[in-house]
Amino acid sequence: MSDLVLEIENLTKTYKLGKREIQPLTNLNLEVQRREFTAIMGPSGSGKTTLLNVIGCIDKASSGKVLIDNVDIAKLPESKLYKIRRDKIGFIFQNFNLLPYLNARENVELAMELAGKFQSQRGERAKQLLATVGLSGREQHRPQRLSQGEQQRVAIARALANDPAIVLADEPTGNLDVANKQEIVKLLADLNQKQGTTIIMVTHDEQVAAQTNRMLYLSEGKISEDKLVQQVTPQQSKESSQE
Amino acid sequence: MGTLTRATKNLSRRKTRALIVIIALSLALTLVIILPPSINAGKATTQTIINDLNNNANFIKSTVSAAATEIDCSLPIQLNLPPPNATGTFHGTAIQPLMNESYYANLTSIPDVNNVVPILEQTEYKDNYPVYLYGIPLDNASLLSSYPSLLPANITEGRNLQAGDNNDIILEEHLAQKFDVSVGRNFNILGKNFTVVGIEGQEALNATAHATLSLADLQALTNTAGQETTFKVFVDNVDNVETVSARITSIYPTMQVSAGLSQENSAQEIQTSIDEQVQTAQNNLNQIQGNGEVEISIAVVADIAIILFIMLYSVRERTREIGTLKAMGASNATILGQLLLEGVILSVIAAVVAIAISVFVAPPLANLLLPHPIESGTAGSWGFSIGRNPGGNNLISVTITPETMLLGFGVAVLFGALGSLYPAWKAARTNPAEAMRYE
Repeated sequence: MSDLVLEIENLTKTYKLGKREIQPLTNLNLEVQRREFTAIMGPSGSGKTTLLNVIGCIDKASSGKVLIDNVDIAKLPESKLYKIRRDKIGFIFQNFNLLPYLNARENVELAMELAGKFQSQRGERAKQLLATVGLSGREQHRPQRLSQGEQQRVAIARALANDPAIVLADEPTGNLDVANKQEIVKLLADLNQKQGTTIIMVTHDEQVAAQTNRMLYLSEGKISEDKLVQQVTPQQSKESSQE
Repeated sequence: MGTLTRATKNLSRRKTRALIVIIALSLALTLVIILPPSINAGKATTQTIINDLNNNANFIKSTVSAAATEIDCSLPIQLNLPPPNATGTFHGTAIQPLMNESYYANLTSIPDVNNVVPILEQTEYKDNYPVYLYGIPLDNASLLSSYPSLLPANITEGRNLQAGDNNDIILEEHLAQKFDVSVGRNFNILGKNFTVVGIEGQEALNATAHATLSLADLQALTNTAGQETTFKVFVDNVDNVETVSARITSIYPTMQVSAGLSQENSAQEIQTSIDEQVQTAQNNLNQIQGNGEVEISIAVVADIAIILFIMLYSVRERTREIGTLKAMGASNATILGQLLLEGVILSVIAAVVAIAISVFVAPPLANLLLPHPIESGTAGSWGFSIGRNPGGNNLISVTITPETMLLGFGVAVLFGALGSLYPAWKAARTNPAEAMRYE
């Protein structure tokens, strides 16, 4: 049975750059199943980040439909969009984007605080999530005292804090060395396989993309190739349904 | 961890910057806290000066009005000039003719005359030194209270003469010095001792050394019982002075009649002088108010501008961070609230520092920033001292009360919110996609 978490129909995104009109996305169609780990690839300027931003509700579609859990976010005003970002989306950025004046636990807690969760719930959950990403004992460290790999782990824990429908990762390994890159990809793959987290990841790296279920190639604002790497495994479905 | 904790932690990221901003804000807030009570204190002092001036003006006016209704009547001085001696030198004498009680009765019967006061003036010699003796009636208390100008005006030591005094005398300062007599001692003239009850300030350098005593005492001393040299005729209204003067002249054609109308002119001069002093004080008051308001306005603008610019800078510096918060699901209200709170926290910390500074530097700073209330001096020859510090500057006395401190906190919260409102609104409206691209 199909369990779509994301449906995109004829998505077009246009914006003006000076007097020039740019169209990074043109009539793009896409469906993503729950628990799927999808990699989006393509050359620079192909619209990968724009697509991720539109799905993540931080950029608006010019036309078309974008349904997350059957809610068309393209039609929602800002007064409702922030709730979608808060409750349905988890962002992982290339530069981690942790708040430098908060420690690891507080960075994770912040996402839950914005969702209105109580302190008692937040503290325990943040601790669990940091343990999940392998940062037990590092909760009180501020970002500047963590390695880049550790910072990205905190960012991953933060993205998972509100148990989002989709985790959007924009080149999460782009700023990491080879060892950290492999660890982060493995962590994301584990989260996908063991916890059934739906992940859409933009990457330039074929090796990283090869660890996902599905590879999409974007070219001139459209999906030029949609390649299935491996099916969503029953284990993924089972474990996620147990949560 | 709530918005307050986040705002506080964020401010503590840049400690040096926060410290500089707090110092600048606290200086501006110090002015905002100190100036309003200082203006009020300065205005109160100046208002007291104006009230003093007006009270004195009223007193002078009433005194002069009374004097203006006065007509001095005396017979012409008779000169006794014997032939020159062998050396060709004249040794003549000037005699003030005496008037008897019939003059008193005739003058009193003239219409519009309220009172006639007999005065005896005699010049006698003490150790070959001429002493001008001035006798005034001290048997009528209501007369003295109605016409205070009858008594010496400028008592510098002891007391003035009063109703019922006898064998008491007031010496003019020069005379007291000449014979080395002070208050409480005896002054002997023509073989009779008088108790010195007061010393009168010298009216002029070339004035005759004089002594004032009761009319009865002087008449007894000079064997002139029932006789006077001058009658002071007090008319009921200043408008009738000329008519009464004419009537006196018609009854006594040779009598010298000197109306006190000239006093009215000097009263006008004094009034003009006091009006000018009141105007000066009023200008001073307006200057205190004006300067204070300008300085408060500058401080308020500076305070809000500091918060505005530092928060704008902070928002610009944290564009990616704000974008991240929005991407994580922070609402516009959350972003607005955090930034507003940061501005208010900065301002409230500055208010604590400003209040501490104000408690210690309020008086010197108030006197440095505001014009001092000025007092213009005395009303000239009338000898009235006006104000508490005539001719000098009064320092503004200001204290920082608990109410002022509370007001300071309130103002700080308001300025913090006002100054950070636009940056916070700008931050809340940040497009997260653009913010994420911001380098």
